[in-house]
Amino acid sequence: MTHPTVPQLTYQDRIDRLRATKLRHTQEKLRELGSSDMDDLPVILPPAESRKMARVVNGSGVLILDALFKDYVPKSNHPSGGIFGARACGENIRALLDLHPPYVDPLSSLAGAYMSHFTAYRQPAWNPDFDYSHLHENQRKYKLLHGIGAVQHFCQDEAIGLTQGWGGILGRIRHYRTVNLDAEAQELYDGLEHMVLGLQDWISRHAATAASMAEHETHPQLRQNLMEIAAINERLVNAPPQTFREACQWMLYYQLAGKMYNMGGSLGRIDQFLYPFYAPDKQRGLLTDEEAIFHLACHFVMDTSYTQLGGPDAEGNDTTNELSYLVLEAAHRLRIPLNVGVSVGQNVDPQLLRRGVEILFEDRTGMPKFLGVDNTSAGFARNNYPIELGRLRAYSGCHWCGIPGREYTVNDCVKVNLAAVFEVALKDMLADPAARPSVETLWSFFVKHLRCSVGTVAQSLDFHLDHMHRVFPELHLDLLCYGPIEKGRDASHGGVEFYNLGIDGAGLATVADSFAAVEQRIEREEHLTWADLGRILETDWAGTKGEQARLMMKSTPRYGSGGSRADFFGVQVVRTFTSIVKEKPTPHGFNMIPGIFSWAATITMGKDVGATPNGRQAQSPISHGPNPDPGFRRDAAPTALALTVAAVQPGFGNTAPMHIELDPGMAKSRKGIDEVMALIRGHFAMGGTQINMNILNKQTILEAHKDPSTHPDLVVRVTGFSAYFASLSPEMRQIIVDRIITQE
Amino acid sequence: MTASNVVFNIQRFSLHDGPGIRTTVFLKGCTMQCFWCHNPEGQHPAPELRYYPDRCIACGSCVAACPNHAHELNDGIHTFIRERCELSGQCVATCFPRALELEGRRMTVQEVMDEILPDKLFYELSGGGVTLSGGEPALSRDFARNILRQCKEHGLHTAVETCGEAPWTALEAMLPHTDLMMMDIKLIDAAKHRASTGQSNERILENARRLAATTTPVIFRTPIVPSVNDSAEEIRAIASFVRQLEEQRTRNGGATAAITYEIMPFHRLAAGKYASLGREYQAAAIDPPSKAKMAELADAARGQGMETLMQGNGM
Repeated sequence: MTHPTVPQLTYQDRIDRLRATKLRHTQEKLRELGSSDMDDLPVILPPAESRKMARVVNGSGVLILDALFKDYVPKSNHPSGGIFGARACGENIRALLDLHPPYVDPLSSLAGAYMSHFTAYRQPAWNPDFDYSHLHENQRKYKLLHGIGAVQHFCQDEAIGLTQGWGGILGRIRHYRTVNLDAEAQELYDGLEHMVLGLQDWISRHAATAASMAEHETHPQLRQNLMEIAAINERLVNAPPQTFREACQWMLYYQLAGKMYNMGGSLGRIDQFLYPFYAPDKQRGLLTDEEAIFHLACHFVMDTSYTQLGGPDAEGNDTTNELSYLVLEAAHRLRIPLNVGVSVGQNVDPQLLRRGVEILFEDRTGMPKFLGVDNTSAGFARNNYPIELGRLRAYSGCHWCGIPGREYTVNDCVKVNLAAVFEVALKDMLADPAARPSVETLWSFFVKHLRCSVGTVAQSLDFHLDHMHRVFPELHLDLLCYGPIEKGRDASHGGVEFYNLGIDGAGLATVADSFAAVEQRIEREEHLTWADLGRILETDWAGTKGEQARLMMKSTPRYGSGGSRADFFGVQVVRTFTSIVKEKPTPHGFNMIPGIFSWAATITMGKDVGATPNGRQAQSPISHGPNPDPGFRRDAAPTALALTVAAVQPGFGNTAPMHIELDPGMAKSRKGIDEVMALIRGHFAMGGTQINMNILNKQTILEAHKDPSTHPDLVVRVTGFSAYFASLSPEMRQIIVDRIITQE
Repeated sequence: MTASNVVFNIQRFSLHDGPGIRTTVFLKGCTMQCFWCHNPEGQHPAPELRYYPDRCIACGSCVAACPNHAHELNDGIHTFIRERCELSGQCVATCFPRALELEGRRMTVQEVMDEILPDKLFYELSGGGVTLSGGEPALSRDFARNILRQCKEHGLHTAVETCGEAPWTALEAMLPHTDLMMMDIKLIDAAKHRASTGQSNERILENARRLAATTTPVIFRTPIVPSVNDSAEEIRAIASFVRQLEEQRTRNGGATAAITYEIMPFHRLAAGKYASLGREYQAAAIDPPSKAKMAELADAARGQGMETLMQGNGM
């Protein structure tokens, strides 16, 4: 088959070119859309002649500039201009798919890319007929990310699609349409059917495009590839995948559709659901490991979703297999922002951790991250579930996991801004003539307002679950869940088996340090009075005296320093938050699970909070997840960090992930790798649940911060997700710089 | 006996002072005055005041606090007059921007142990432990020995970094509680040694011989400092000396505990420390040795039959 004059491309050549294309797409997005402090979404811009830019609210509730197809006119079914309910959402996503051009790169073994977010056209996101103004006062008072309107953020089971194919799924929808005849079910089936039909058409257009490109392709190797893509895609319109490559192709379409619809679609346990395709292909000599790595890389370059490697099966046996290593290897060769989590646990193959740490230091792209699967499984069981169920939860998003296809979670969508609650408590105490200000009084005000804020979240979640199916149902994730099709109910409305709603506390260090600072400087040393503090915070530490007071408050021993009062308060805040969340379910009886995580919303949540007694200035970011603020100890010891974060785990299966930056020089030898492995194992042995690790060279980060164009391919793990450093806002880049600048 | 001592740093997650993840305790006070010393704050036994003008916000709190008028504020500019400072520490307590810091604080053995023990699990998982460094830990021998002893009682691996310039009895007192000794040999020539470090090396070499006669594992180390010892000739002489000690240990009953040799490059990271202590940094003009130079010197040492490890990075 080799053309005499055209050199054969190796898989690595092709991966390198795919990476370069991705980088070009990323730079184009940066130029056209500006910076973005969120996941490195693999969306590519629509062709210049068919796009327009618009400022819209994205699926995470953040106002962003997004690219729209200028010829796509969504059909609203509501006076507000919105698109609500399964039927309307289905019709409109199908219309978007109909208009969406196919994308075939002759270098890739897989076709497909997505260019636009349906949520960008679906404005407003919430149906104003479902009025929750009765909750506004508290939602605004506590600056809650309350979860009403939250989309996706639960995990489907990819295996359903891989075994049934689009034809099988469509058949099931049509069958159950004749079983469940109520209006809600019928509307859902309409929506789901539109989604599938739109996808089938989109896939068949990819097949045609690949076939036509093959006719014109002069490079024999690429022509052959295009012909294969055409054949595979033609089959996959209806049939389930038969080979590993077909399974990757099927999975990619499913994921792209999710990103397009509501940014949904996690990969979950990719090394498990792809294994039934890998093993037989390998055995029959149809697939080499190099090919498997290449197909996986072709998937990842277009879909950076979260995935877990290894970890227990229901009985607790490790599931690590050859494919786990190949997935790691694919990510390693690609070197782009990816979100691969390596399981670490008592029974998990230790070599997987070693290989993960080696790649982490070699690539310096914050990949992989590390999952404390024993603690998340055992913690989940504390919600009165058998531990077997906890073990099945798959890592699926920034800091969260879910039982594939069976659990609805809204994980990472609901945040209680602890710093905002603290601010309300402090102001309330100072304004209350009956209150005698003291740390004890402040704590009781804090607990009162914390309980109130959690109560508001609980009511908000009930409201969400009452109405979401009539606003923006999960037409994409429903397809690969157990129940929605069978019952005719959206996952947000009783379609799945389990409802465990994630609720995270954010700004822990800000609050812990604030309590410790007032205790030391006001109560113990009497440097300030409570009234002074109120005035100073009001002026945001204005003037030399204000700055002096700020530095004084900031210099009390910090959360993370070890054995300090701030450490004590950190633990107390998490224990109290956890017990409030767990003291009762929502009024409608839904279980809530606490976590400690702020995501990249440290910046936006910080903008809602005035100056705090820990020396933080008004509107500046709140602290990150369960982490102490930078400068928490002179030696910035990772072990001290690991102990601190391990001590503030809520312990019910959702995480409080440790975020840590290490110097690249640390693991130049086997000794260094062993030490980093010991750090990871130690954190999990003490109760930690997840680790996000960045290997950052200080000099490189400083250069890239000064002029991002000097390091366009520098990848950092920002929080639960990773991204190109150059794509981040200056504010977010500053946060990352601050994390690695030490005092000495 | 609950001795206390001045400690100038406790570094957790220390990876370069022995095997595994360690906590390194730096004890203040040293008998030598190496002009390139990378821990100059460890040389004097008493606490010292460090001053960082770039952090100063000229608030004047220190002026009011100092009983000895060591601080002045004129036209919004703060001046620290080090000669007047008697280390009352009062200014430090009021300096919230941390422009003034006291280097070194007196700690009890228990206070040090409270810093050491939280990381026990990490020591165990990584084969690490605790290292006493300085300064010269042997100068605080009761304190040092008590920390080592308590560490051993907790089952921790212990190591000591010594310059070797201390009474043998002080070193010997630590040995029963020490799993690894790391001793510097900077030069073989006594006169050159005195010129560079302020001390002759006679006692160091003698202590090295005595150490070799014990069963404790020892790493002998040479910091490669250009203009001081970065010649093949110097390193050959040191390596040959260490090789003899190794042979001596093997002869004396075939002890299995190893004697090994390492060289490590001088670096200039201490410049800021000298400035904050108000001292002149005499190594400011010395460039760190190149990687090629380090490799050449390692080869020279190996030529003497001594297996030689290179630590750290040359330039």
